[in-house]
Amino acid sequence: MIPSLQRLARSLGVLLVVVGLTFAIFYIAPIDPALQMCGKPCSPEDLEAARGFMGFDKPWWVQLGTFLAAIVTGRSFGSADVLVECAAPCLGYSFQLHQSVTELLADRFPVSFSIAIGAVALQAVFGIAAGALAARRQGGMLDRIVTGVSVVAASAPAFVVGLLAVVVFALRLDLLPSGGYEPFAEGPLEWARHLVLPWATLAFLNGAIYGRLVRSSMIEQLGLDYVRTSRALGLSERRIDGYALRNLALPLTTLIALDIGALLGGTVITERIFGQPGLGALLLDATATADLPVIVGTTLVGSLLIVLANLGADLARPLLDRRLAHGGRSPRRSSATTPLDQTPQENPS
Amino acid sequence: MTSASFTRRGILVATPLVLGTGMLAACSTDGSGGSSSDGGGESGGALTIFSTGEEMSFDPATSQNLAITTLGLTARRLTAWKTSAGAPTELIPDLATDTGTASEDGRTWTFTLQEGLQFEDGTPITAATVKYGLERSFAAELTGGLTYHKVLLEGGEDYAGPFSDKHLDSIETPDETTIVLHLNRPYGDFGWIASTPAFAPVPEESGEPETYATAPVASGPYRLESYSPGSQAVLVRNENWDAGTDQARAGGPDSLEFVLAQDASVVAQSIIADRSDSQNAFLSTFVPTAQLVQAQNDPNVGDRLVTSGPGALEYLALNTASEALKDVKVRQAIQYAVDKQAYLTAKGGEISGDYATTLITPGIAGREEYSLYSDDPAGDADEATALLQEAGVEDLTLRLVITDDQTGAAEAIQQGLDRAGITVTIQPLDENAYSSEVTAGDGTGYDLVLSSWQPDVPSPNANLTPLFDSSQIGNGNYNLARYDNPDVDAAILEASSTTDAEEAHAKWAAVDQQILEDSPVVPLIFSKNSFIHGSGVENFVIGEFPAYPNYLTVTLAP
Repeated sequence: MIPSLQRLARSLGVLLVVVGLTFAIFYIAPIDPALQMCGKPCSPEDLEAARGFMGFDKPWWVQLGTFLAAIVTGRSFGSADVLVECAAPCLGYSFQLHQSVTELLADRFPVSFSIAIGAVALQAVFGIAAGALAARRQGGMLDRIVTGVSVVAASAPAFVVGLLAVVVFALRLDLLPSGGYEPFAEGPLEWARHLVLPWATLAFLNGAIYGRLVRSSMIEQLGLDYVRTSRALGLSERRIDGYALRNLALPLTTLIALDIGALLGGTVITERIFGQPGLGALLLDATATADLPVIVGTTLVGSLLIVLANLGADLARPLLDRRLAHGGRSPRRSSATTPLDQTPQENPS
Repeated sequence: MTSASFTRRGILVATPLVLGTGMLAACSTDGSGGSSSDGGGESGGALTIFSTGEEMSFDPATSQNLAITTLGLTARRLTAWKTSAGAPTELIPDLATDTGTASEDGRTWTFTLQEGLQFEDGTPITAATVKYGLERSFAAELTGGLTYHKVLLEGGEDYAGPFSDKHLDSIETPDETTIVLHLNRPYGDFGWIASTPAFAPVPEESGEPETYATAPVASGPYRLESYSPGSQAVLVRNENWDAGTDQARAGGPDSLEFVLAQDASVVAQSIIADRSDSQNAFLSTFVPTAQLVQAQNDPNVGDRLVTSGPGALEYLALNTASEALKDVKVRQAIQYAVDKQAYLTAKGGEISGDYATTLITPGIAGREEYSLYSDDPAGDADEATALLQEAGVEDLTLRLVITDDQTGAAEAIQQGLDRAGITVTIQPLDENAYSSEVTAGDGTGYDLVLSSWQPDVPSPNANLTPLFDSSQIGNGNYNLARYDNPDVDAAILEASSTTDAEEAHAKWAAVDQQILEDSPVVPLIFSKNSFIHGSGVENFVIGEFPAYPNYLTVTLAP
């Protein structure tokens, strides 16, 4: 249990650093969020009032402290005349959207969640299958196709692939809607129909990494002693594949967890192209309008999700590797997120 | 583009811009009593407006909308605009019976409301509700809108809004339909100011100030039925709106759906293809460059691509506070050195604008055409060199600050000035950093700025005061040339105090030239905006001013 507590503390530390950095960036950058609040034309009194109302007139450490405290206790903005309440957990208040950042994020989260779940499922299934098949037929036609496609996918920019998908599948072939989000509660079918293109686009782009990872690791595994031994013992190739894949479970879990974490935090370009009102789209808009509270809130929640995903992967490791469950040491590879670059390692049999 | 950055909130967030419809058709709609629910003729249907914005706000106090776009659909004001393709935009009455009456000294303005006007809930629209709407705009929570009235209303500087039962005495409501406004100075254009969002009526029982943005009480032809941030907003007919009282709005479609958070390229493609879900729709932002070329070459698009006449002034501001540009001869040399032809090419060529040699925007009454410097848009490098020699200036190096999407245009400026031996270093900034630097900084960070200006109301005052009055330097304002000339300040004060329109126009035209003789900015082009709509959309017309469609008069094919 002690290592878990340590991990938790470390995760919390990471989040604090992220908040601090996000705050710092905005104090170093020559941007005054109150300007956006100050009407046109902007009188000095209005600008002062806007700063005061938003709490931006205080020194940065006071603002940081107030921000952190508000997550626990909530806070209010303004004066006696007009008081805007922001209930705990208060991640700030957007004066441009007139809504608490927590509410804004809660509104957008289901969209990013829907995108992330489907995309990760698709990319894991197709990536792993393609990689495994390619490894089995190393040097063959299928292998070359998989390797070729994965190079294209890994290097293609998201906006090109996304736009292409819209133009072909929505505009030309008219098979799928070009954008928009339908809540799951209002019909799973429509929900899925509107998400197929973003899912497929993300899966295509990210699946390549899975394919390459699985392919190279499988090839490596299939050349190891235990495979030779297994073959000599007459085990079926299917069983052997199963063993090899099981040895990839650890790095794959880490990769999947990180992907889920990253996608949950929002995918700026994909959400934009497919008109999905998720966290990424919210962040993009907030950046354009210098809506500091929304930017800080979205960044913080995005990092929180990645940290949580990482923590989840850490905690899941003992379940996947019984040596860890019995207090043993993890082989080096299992903690790597990109084992592609690793030198082959003996697998203790 | 900078106009895009300056009005960004208005365009992208608060209000996706709507396209204009032909005023003539609109008027005939009104004239034939084409009232709301008859469903025939030019009325009816569901109009879709695709927007790149994520969020919408329907609170007049925080809105910077033009009078003819989104907020105008739900909120009427004291006055309104009549836009037409072939004439300057006119001020017309909206809730009021006329466009306002000024007292002899121009400091008191009186408006009379029409009888029998109602909000969507059937309660009467009274002078008190207009007063309340104005008072709200002074509250700290509700800042961010157009504030021209706030500096004009007497006692406004010490007023903090109506939420603690304090009222602004300079807004008098002697009876249900009369509203009298006392100003701290004579002001001729107050009729135009009364068309800005804050002059929309708001019932006192409208609830918490911060919730009104998504729960407005409509006075216009539509009321907000549902709103889902990042997704959509649906407007449906306000049954208590009486078309007979409204000269500005056609109330054509039965409903309007704003589809939010769209990618402009995707929507433009869809509308170019005239897909079934885009036929009764238009894109509220400009057609992106790639799709603009595509639409121009696609015979199926034809007049569904609508390009405005010359609109917002794009200009090169010369920082008059910078040591290098203190000498008027140097600033005049830059007038000759700039290559407007190269600039327009970088902006996309003829479809993107007309050359500008003056300051007041086309479509604004009172504008006069003149040219003080080179008549050749490519400039006159020899004249520039001669002026620099006269000024005794050599090896001039200037810093040009731009937003990071203006690189091509900035290079055109750079090459133009290079012909006269002036070295320009380009400093691209992110949009937020840019506006903080040029509008709020101390002015030491730049010599030149590329910017543009779209007036908030079609009066020369809204054109010249924000850019050249010394009170508008820094602090988030737009006198980017940091131009501080007491003579010009006095002339602006004089012209803005004149209540006789024709007299005022003559004075403004003189101020326009007076400023440009001193050369604080180089007018480059009056930019044109292109919009695209589906085949079912009619009366999608852009008036002379502003270079945006008039949402209030768009109709759908029967």
